[in-house]
Amino acid sequence: MGKTDRITERQLSVLIFVSLLSPMIRILPASAVLFAGRSAWLSTALALPAGAALVAFTRWTRKNAPEDMGLADMAVAGLGPVVGRFFDILCALWLTFYGGFIARSAAERLLATVYPNGNTPIFVAVMLAVALFTASGLTKTLSRTAEIMMPILVAVIAVVLLSALPDVSAAHLLPVTYRDLKGMAYGALPIFDVMAASAYFLFLAGRVRRPKSQRPNRFPWLIMLALVAFGVTFFTLGTLGEKLAVAMENAFFMVIRNIKVLGVVERVEAVVVTIWIVTDFIFLAAVLMIVAEIWRTVTGVKKRAVFVVPSAALSGASAFLIAGNAFAFQRWSDFIVPAVNLLLAAILIPAVMAVGKLRRRY
Amino acid sequence: MKKAICALLAVGLALTATSCSGLTLFSNYRRLENIELVRTVTADRDGDGVNVSVYGTAGEQSEARMYERSGPSVGVAMGKLILMPLGREAILSHTETMLIGEELAEISIRECLDYVERFSEMRLDTGILIVRDGTARDLLAGLSGSDTPASDTIAGLSLNIAKVGEGYFFTAREIASSMADNGCALIQCVRGVKEEKLFEARGDLNLEPAGFAVVKDGAVCQYLTDEETLGVILLLGKYKSRNVDLALPDAAVTVSVDLAETDMKPVFDQDGRLAELRVKLSLRANVINIAGEADITDEAVRRECERELTEIMTGAVRAAVRRSQELKLDYLDLEGVIRRSSPLKFEDMPDAWEDVFPDLPVTVEGSGVLARTYDIADPPELSGKEDKNPWEKLIESLKGS
Amino acid sequence: MLKGKAKTPAPPEPESGAPVSAAALETVFEGCYDFEARDVHIGGDTARLARLCFIDGLVSGSDVAEQVIRPLTDPKRFGAVTDIKAVVSMLLGGSVYVYTAKRRDKLGELAGDLLNGFCALVFDGEKTAVTFEVKSPQRRSVDAPKEEKVIKGAKDAFVETMKINTTLVRRKVRNAHLKIKEFHLGQRADTAAALIYIDGFTNEGIVAEASRRLERIRAEGVLTSAVIEENIVDNYRSPFPQVISTERSDKFCMNLLEGRVGILVDGLPLGFLVPGTFSQFMKVPEDHSGHFIVASALTLLRYLAVFLTLLAPAFYVAVAMYHQEMIPTRLMQSMIEARSSVPFPTAVEVILMLLAFELLQEAGIRLPSPIGETVSIIGALIVGQSAVEASVVSPVVVVVIALAGIAGYTMPNQDMGSALRLCRFLLVLAAIALGMFGVATASAILVYHLASLESYGVPYMSPFAGSEGRHLSRALFRRSMTVKRDREPELKTGGGGEAKL
Repeated sequence: MGKTDRITERQLSVLIFVSLLSPMIRILPASAVLFAGRSAWLSTALALPAGAALVAFTRWTRKNAPEDMGLADMAVAGLGPVVGRFFDILCALWLTFYGGFIARSAAERLLATVYPNGNTPIFVAVMLAVALFTASGLTKTLSRTAEIMMPILVAVIAVVLLSALPDVSAAHLLPVTYRDLKGMAYGALPIFDVMAASAYFLFLAGRVRRPKSQRPNRFPWLIMLALVAFGVTFFTLGTLGEKLAVAMENAFFMVIRNIKVLGVVERVEAVVVTIWIVTDFIFLAAVLMIVAEIWRTVTGVKKRAVFVVPSAALSGASAFLIAGNAFAFQRWSDFIVPAVNLLLAAILIPAVMAVGKLRRRY
Repeated sequence: MKKAICALLAVGLALTATSCSGLTLFSNYRRLENIELVRTVTADRDGDGVNVSVYGTAGEQSEARMYERSGPSVGVAMGKLILMPLGREAILSHTETMLIGEELAEISIRECLDYVERFSEMRLDTGILIVRDGTARDLLAGLSGSDTPASDTIAGLSLNIAKVGEGYFFTAREIASSMADNGCALIQCVRGVKEEKLFEARGDLNLEPAGFAVVKDGAVCQYLTDEETLGVILLLGKYKSRNVDLALPDAAVTVSVDLAETDMKPVFDQDGRLAELRVKLSLRANVINIAGEADITDEAVRRECERELTEIMTGAVRAAVRRSQELKLDYLDLEGVIRRSSPLKFEDMPDAWEDVFPDLPVTVEGSGVLARTYDIADPPELSGKEDKNPWEKLIESLKGS
Repeated sequence: MLKGKAKTPAPPEPESGAPVSAAALETVFEGCYDFEARDVHIGGDTARLARLCFIDGLVSGSDVAEQVIRPLTDPKRFGAVTDIKAVVSMLLGGSVYVYTAKRRDKLGELAGDLLNGFCALVFDGEKTAVTFEVKSPQRRSVDAPKEEKVIKGAKDAFVETMKINTTLVRRKVRNAHLKIKEFHLGQRADTAAALIYIDGFTNEGIVAEASRRLERIRAEGVLTSAVIEENIVDNYRSPFPQVISTERSDKFCMNLLEGRVGILVDGLPLGFLVPGTFSQFMKVPEDHSGHFIVASALTLLRYLAVFLTLLAPAFYVAVAMYHQEMIPTRLMQSMIEARSSVPFPTAVEVILMLLAFELLQEAGIRLPSPIGETVSIIGALIVGQSAVEASVVSPVVVVVIALAGIAGYTMPNQDMGSALRLCRFLLVLAAIALGMFGVATASAILVYHLASLESYGVPYMSPFAGSEGRHLSRALFRRSMTVKRDREPELKTGGGGEAKL
């Protein structure tokens, strides 16, 4: 383990936040509104405690683990060398595929919004190239990049959401009663799905430097993510209404298309879409880094960077092969990927960690 | 790794070079000087197909031009139109309004809306207007003058009618949202009128609002009268102030209504059925003009004005609601109002809203208040009355009370 | 290619440990017209001789005559001393009125002293020499800084003489723990350098690392700042400056007091400070002279200028070529009108203007001041006005490029400004190729590069990154001087270092 390539808890938190903005905008608000209808804007309130519980649980299982022990090592320690490695390889394969999915998803979003009639391959290729370049570097560099981009992202999101406020209609958001709780809970599922994806970053936990005496300084990524999720859902639903929000591809960017920022700049979706691409870069790079970290643990090879190029190549292949057109891709995006994510990140990973903890392996 | 980076840089430079020469990979590359900026688009029926025209400018100093094309659908016709003569290319991202001819609107609005929604260049806040008593193309041509571009005339009307409560330019987003939520929508209608004496430098026609059209199943099914239009405007709150003429026995008083609050209260019976919808209209107006003999300082005269005002406005609201019920189209979103007001009771209603709505008793009550007159209550030189000293008037009034 | 070999064997290297003799010294400086050697009669006795050697021009002739030769030849002083050893002892003890006297027994050290403005009395019999510091007073006097404008601060800038520079530092930081460690750099030029830090306060790790990097320099001589800068930074390939260089002594001392290590080099009128972080290059000493609210506003303006200078041209290119929907309608109409007669595509127009701007700037720097100013004015008139009137470029492009250029000039550090100018070009190329996506991609790569930089273990982008989110306000705002200032946390300074022992 590279002793100089260490990050702090806060840096990991920021990296998680910036990365998860990428899948969040793919899923919201359509998935939440599909389940929760008009009350979807409150679904975040239900997703947040569930996300917090998951994060607290994983922290508890990791509490006494050695500092340089990542999730891959924990799986091997908890499940045994064979089953543990099998689990690690499973995760690595899924994440390799997921990396390609991220790249393709970003490319499709670009085509749907600001580059009509463009070519997905060129966007996918550029994204993979940049992610390859960054994933080959140090974890601390990637997390510092996320730290620098984070305030810019938050500022842009805040400005555009506030600019969309005049178009929000209470008729699209109300009424909400206790009877909507069930729908809200279902609507919270996609949001929780995104929050649960933070579990993948536990594979990088071995790079986190934990201060011995004082409380670790953490960035409240879960609350921030919930706020962004709330904002996106609230403003999109409030502007378009329930049915349009579900029917439209990239409903959030449709709303952005029609706002005027400070009454001066119009049609800022190009800026917002491309700023959001940075989150895709960071997430994709983080995923490639995680995959390389897993393979490093499984094979025992010291240098992680060795695995980045083949992982990127496989991700690229999956990006191109996953679906022939946007309709087929939508099926992956709406059902298959969220379902597998939920199973792996929200159920399997915590279960594996719990097994190791119960067996007192760490 | 270094070789990979060098390869990437080479590709990047190649992309740059191609873009410099115009051979870019992206379809949204345009040379600014070839752009024809389109602010207004029209669509009319043309046989079995559609005729579209755009009103474009190549620049501030350039003369605005009209271009038109026909095709079997809006998409095909627009596709032909975008690639203009002399290598010019229309850009629709600055389109503010789409004018749809009456004939086409009565067959299908949906196609035009669909084009606005799907075509990523166009904005969802594009105003949609239906042109009555003529084609949209002719209206646009008639509005085009050397001094004031047609688009500015339309933009001006859009701002003004909302202020004076004569109408409202619904945007594509609002129409689509209403159609999705309520199954129907309202669209502003306009017509061109000849005004020879007005602004000779302008084109042949001026633009005036012509009420609302009701859209159902993607096509216009009904045009609202002026009274119904006023009722809709009051109920939806789409105005800043509205001038109303009040006919008194000896005078005509014009007031400006600056506040018209609507309070809708559903009444449910013991079985949970929606028995009635009570609409209370609160009005506040200010006197802006008196023609004839009317002493506005006289309380009786003011009461008469208030009664007349209330009658006119409540009549308009009644008319709007009645029409909505006759058509069985809830374009006023009364369902949403009732649902927000009593959500649980609404959900527990034994009958579906679609069944209840057409026969739902709606009572409209109103109260109007004349708040003030501006500057002068009773101009002595015009009324013919003796110009009394204000102190004398005050003493008289105190004696009188 | 030159043919043939050197005819005579090379003289012994000055750093050699050969014993001292006048003949050996004269051999070392053979062929040097400025090397002077003469016999001096000790105490006026012709039988007792010492060989006086010096390099003419480096020494003060009057000091040599008055303070060395006169007392040495005085019979009253040295007449009775017959033993040469006693003479040497008296010379070292202050019989000669020079404040620095050193005994040299090795040829290399003796030659080094001569090159540093010393004169030497060589005693062949004793194989020893005594050197006296009699440097020539010919040096540039302390003046106001030329490259860094001073509005309210001190106007004593560094000069080429290291001793004067260290004096300027000592006068401002009157701290007994201020250490000035001497280095000799350059394999042939033997340039003196000083490493300055506050013992017990400055992080020892940074001091040790700076010393190590200075010792590692393998250049023939240190005559330019790049030799120092590129050798002591962590990543010399990055165009972004990682060493703070300044000609202002007040700025140099302020940074020492924040926990940085300073380096002065003889012959360079600059002070270097490490570690250098991005936020440091956005600060000027004037921030500490003016009101803290005004200073904070100006700092924020500089950060805004960074965004403008980097992104304005690229943003314009991306919007004009690919994302015209972002341009407001009225502006769009005037831009179409303006571009209708311009023959070049937008991409070429912007690149041409950027190049023209850079050419004007270079011309302005290279030419002598009066002509340089004239060229700048003419260039502005020609490029700005005539090019637009001739429809070579459109007015909007001129405005955008000018805005970006002026924003770049607000950078307090010229190296930072140059790095940003280079990145601006690359961003424009990315915008031309891929529009806003290209701008986002290139910006992400740029941010990644900046995030990858470290300076002596301190993240380059701290406190924006790598600082746990704390002390961000230090980079953006200046607190009032009435509030006790914390030290820079990322420099991990020590607890001591008070002025009094």
